[in-house]
Amino acid sequence: MGNRKIPAKLLKQEVIVFIVVIALLGFFCVASPDFRKYTTILTIMDYSYYIVLMAIGVSFPLITGGVDLSIGTGLVCYSLAGGYLIVHKGWPTGAAMVVSLLFGIIIGLINGILIGVMGLPPFLATLCTCMITRGLGSICSNNFGISWPTTGQPGSWFRSIFKLTIGDTKIPLGFVWVLLLAILMHFVLNHTKIGRYTIAIGSNKEAAILSGINVKFYHIMAYVISGFFAALASIAYSAVFATVLPGTGAGFELEAIGGAIIGGVSATGGAGSIIGTLIGVFVICLLKTGLPFIGLQANWQQIVTGVVLIGSVMVDIIKKRKESRK
Amino acid sequence: MDLIKKIKENPIIKKLGFNRIVLACVLVLMYLILSLMVDNFAGMPRIMSALNYVYFLGFLSLGVTFVIATGGIDFSIGPVMFCCALVSGYSLTSLGVPMLPSLILSLIVGLLFGMMNGYLVAYWKVPPFIVSMASMNIAKGVASVFTKTQSVSWPQAAKGGWFRSLVKVGKFPVGIIVFLVVAAICSIILNHTKAGRYILSLGSNREAVRLSGVDTKKWEMLAYAICGVLVGIAAIYFVGAYTTVQPGYGDQYNNEAIAGCVMGGTSMAGGLASIGGTVIGVFIIALLQEGILALGFTKDYQLIITGLIVIVAVYADVMARRRKN
Amino acid sequence: MGEVILQMIDIDKRFPGVHALNKVSFDVKRGEVHALMGENGAGKSTLMKVLTGIYTKDSGSIVFEGKEVEFHGAREAQDAGVVIVHQELNMVGHLTVAQNIFIGREFKKGIRIDDKKMNEEAAKLFEKLNINIDPTATMSDLTVGKQQMCEIAKAISHDAKVIIFDEPTAALTESEIEDLFKIIRDLRKQQMAIVYISHRMDEIKVITDRVTVMRDGCYVGTLVTEESTKDDIINMMVGRIIYEEPKTKSRVPDDAPVVLRVDHLNAGRMVQDVSFELRKGEILGFSGLMGAGRTETARAIFGADPKESGEIFVNGKKTVINSPEDAVKAGIGYLSEDRKRFGIVVQKTIAENTTMADLGNYMKGIFIDKKKEKKVAKEFVDSLSTKTPSVDQLVVNLSGGNQQKVVIAKWLCKNCDILIFDEPTRGIDVGAKNEIYKLMNKLAAEGKSIIMISSEMTEILRMSDRIVVMCEGKKTGELRIEDTTQEKIMNLATRDIN
Repeated sequence: MGNRKIPAKLLKQEVIVFIVVIALLGFFCVASPDFRKYTTILTIMDYSYYIVLMAIGVSFPLITGGVDLSIGTGLVCYSLAGGYLIVHKGWPTGAAMVVSLLFGIIIGLINGILIGVMGLPPFLATLCTCMITRGLGSICSNNFGISWPTTGQPGSWFRSIFKLTIGDTKIPLGFVWVLLLAILMHFVLNHTKIGRYTIAIGSNKEAAILSGINVKFYHIMAYVISGFFAALASIAYSAVFATVLPGTGAGFELEAIGGAIIGGVSATGGAGSIIGTLIGVFVICLLKTGLPFIGLQANWQQIVTGVVLIGSVMVDIIKKRKESRK
Repeated sequence: MDLIKKIKENPIIKKLGFNRIVLACVLVLMYLILSLMVDNFAGMPRIMSALNYVYFLGFLSLGVTFVIATGGIDFSIGPVMFCCALVSGYSLTSLGVPMLPSLILSLIVGLLFGMMNGYLVAYWKVPPFIVSMASMNIAKGVASVFTKTQSVSWPQAAKGGWFRSLVKVGKFPVGIIVFLVVAAICSIILNHTKAGRYILSLGSNREAVRLSGVDTKKWEMLAYAICGVLVGIAAIYFVGAYTTVQPGYGDQYNNEAIAGCVMGGTSMAGGLASIGGTVIGVFIIALLQEGILALGFTKDYQLIITGLIVIVAVYADVMARRRKN
Repeated sequence: MGEVILQMIDIDKRFPGVHALNKVSFDVKRGEVHALMGENGAGKSTLMKVLTGIYTKDSGSIVFEGKEVEFHGAREAQDAGVVIVHQELNMVGHLTVAQNIFIGREFKKGIRIDDKKMNEEAAKLFEKLNINIDPTATMSDLTVGKQQMCEIAKAISHDAKVIIFDEPTAALTESEIEDLFKIIRDLRKQQMAIVYISHRMDEIKVITDRVTVMRDGCYVGTLVTEESTKDDIINMMVGRIIYEEPKTKSRVPDDAPVVLRVDHLNAGRMVQDVSFELRKGEILGFSGLMGAGRTETARAIFGADPKESGEIFVNGKKTVINSPEDAVKAGIGYLSEDRKRFGIVVQKTIAENTTMADLGNYMKGIFIDKKKEKKVAKEFVDSLSTKTPSVDQLVVNLSGGNQQKVVIAKWLCKNCDILIFDEPTRGIDVGAKNEIYKLMNKLAAEGKSIIMISSEMTEILRMSDRIVVMCEGKKTGELRIEDTTQEKIMNLATRDIN
């Protein structure tokens, strides 16, 4: 069946990253007895949802050879916007969620047009929308933090989508949805025109144009997907954390993009798999939650993530150099 | 359109730069409009407040001008600035390092980050946006770890904070002098030294410069290193004006610094840079921010407006380049 | 062979400064393999680009399947059944073979792309063409030869009726060429019309039915392959009357010292065991067709590209050159064939470009001595007769010829004794060309040594004291100007294993 045969190179990367995850898990379990509790798994899960969702979405612009830096502050903005409607305008949670999603799609559309039609460099265009959403988010919430309905309040049903409480146990249900979405986007990337042409644009845009593909449309779509998933991530974030603060969000994109690149998405476009992205993000999440257990503050995670990202790109570059010598 | 062409050909206008004159007019216009709209806008307090913004943003913009001149980008400058301020500030207030070495430390931290960025971009060919992303977060992390996530407040003038006289002495804005002098030095570097010649040339036709027997990697890395030093200076002026810095912030200044630079006529494609334009651009951004606050809007509106300005400026640059081809 | 399926009649096309196609006529029949031959710049690619609508013709007509047509782009031509298989393959490396073949027109089952069906169809296609490729393989994993077969298969799947091969065998191994010929023979049997652009004599003899030769934008003639010899074809390719005086005698004494010696240089497929010597005051012409490896050789010598092995001796002394910096220090200068990208710095002035290779000598402390820079630049502008109002002009605003003069000035400013000119007069008008020739002769007379890579036969014959001919990465011969003819050069430049 078609593209089930994942290119050998990619497979190797995914296996390597998977081994890294296992190794990290093992390391943390051995180094800290506290790590081995069930609550740790819950924490890791909680932290992973929004990053995984962002990463799945941003994989598409990355595969086209671009990038979306607006996903981090965008997430906060979409959450604040939806939350504002709930808290200050009495909207039902469901409707607010829809608004968040629409907001994400619109920003994604703007990014897509700036980059795919007007020809601005991707990092610059999304850097600008990053700033713009940051400002918009703060304006929406009047610079106050906003909390989506907490457990017990009306409209808090959406929290149980991610964490179901049965009696005394909490089940990280969110993992199921995220996994399903990952499988869905894996399907989109490998078996639909959107995914196929996204890869084509990143691999050889000229060839794609010559083949009669409406390159502009699919280029824009990649950013719309990224925006949509950033919005999904914002819902996950609101569900897991109590309060969303304006002015935050910068740095989320590093975790998402870093996770995707560690998982095998090429920094220069054309290659990538959703599975790899998933595993790559888990490396990031493990580091984020595990490091405090061995006494390193959470801020070390920022340093480590940055270093790991650079490291994996350098490895990728070395690999490419070796190949071109053949 | 012919009139504009005629104006452009005038020798005086050519020397000063048509774009820069337009920018200067925009600046003056903005100032007049704001003076009319806001009471007391022309008053000293507002001007001093705007100038405070000009200093640190100015050094950031000068720094990023060098990087953009090579055709690259560095949007880690905001968080790196904070890292410089935090690391050196913490050394000053909690580790007993005297004032002068602390100030120098700020420059050294900036330089180290600049060299790291430059090394990765020039020698390893890592895409600049990835280097910026990673560097940005490493800077935040380093700052946090170093100060144990605490904020740092630099001392007031009376309590040994003589560095504040770098900013102003009484009501006299010393900072402006320093900024303009440094800007002049940057302009001299870009236009009259080997470093500047090579930096601009490699931003324009990197391979042509390499084929002329020049080690382009070295000079590309230097551009990032210079940026790093200027970021270190920016840190000093930031705390000189605003005293307290907190780890985890700094991103918003990235865009504003780039805005000042791109507005001033520096091309994102590399090879073309204008220090004079950057200076005027910085004044415009600072005036904008002051004006927005004066009109009662929050900082957030400035973020949005700056984002839009950069989009327009870069789009204009893209269109201009398309026309040339 | 069947009836004529495609006719190009009296095609005329001008570009600024060059008459690219001069009332050229060309036709091809069903079930025929028709070779199109000529030197670089003869107009072969231009003719095909006019056919597929990439260029618009100035006059003339194209008749396809009995009807007059005008294609406005590659896609339109492709839809009608006229397809070019280019030298640079247009494949998406990260997708599979089948995905590439059906890109843009994928089979779908609802929203899902039916890769299974695409693989089956691709397999069927390959079977019909007797090609052995796995449809599920990733394109970038295949060899160039196999990629090209995919491109052919893709063309066929578009119901091509005319396939144009542009230098198809340049990157293929011997066995891959065999496979390609098998496919071409099959296609011929199936009444496909095939145009075969190539310079390889042996292949022309083996696979083609007719040969059409073009020269300097003109149609020269058509021969039936079976009834013609290699000499016949070469005569048609070069049989021009040369109006300018070719050099009849080398001006270099036989005992002139060797300034540059290259020993067994190897740098990939394009530079295979190349060895030669350059003597003082000599202009050594490097002749050959496109893809011969001359630029690659020059770049390897200059350190611009890495080399695998080989030694370089400058003035008898072994010199290690691993980068352009090393080469420049050794006194070698290189003028790239892509002047606009690799020769000049677009955003800088004439003066600034002139000192680019020698900036160290124009410093006053840490500052650039701009006065000295401008003075020297002005001297060069005068001595080279560069047309410009001042040395503060941006180089990008000059004409091609004057830009070239600035690049030459750069190397003269550095006082290089060995100069490698790569296509020095490409894109330059006749007047400026002559000035550059005069300049080169003057430099040689002053004792500088020049390697001149050129695809223009007249230029080679006019300027060279000796000529090195390359073909497909190998040096095939060396000629003294005294006993050189166009035919001899072309013989060495075209591959002929018989």
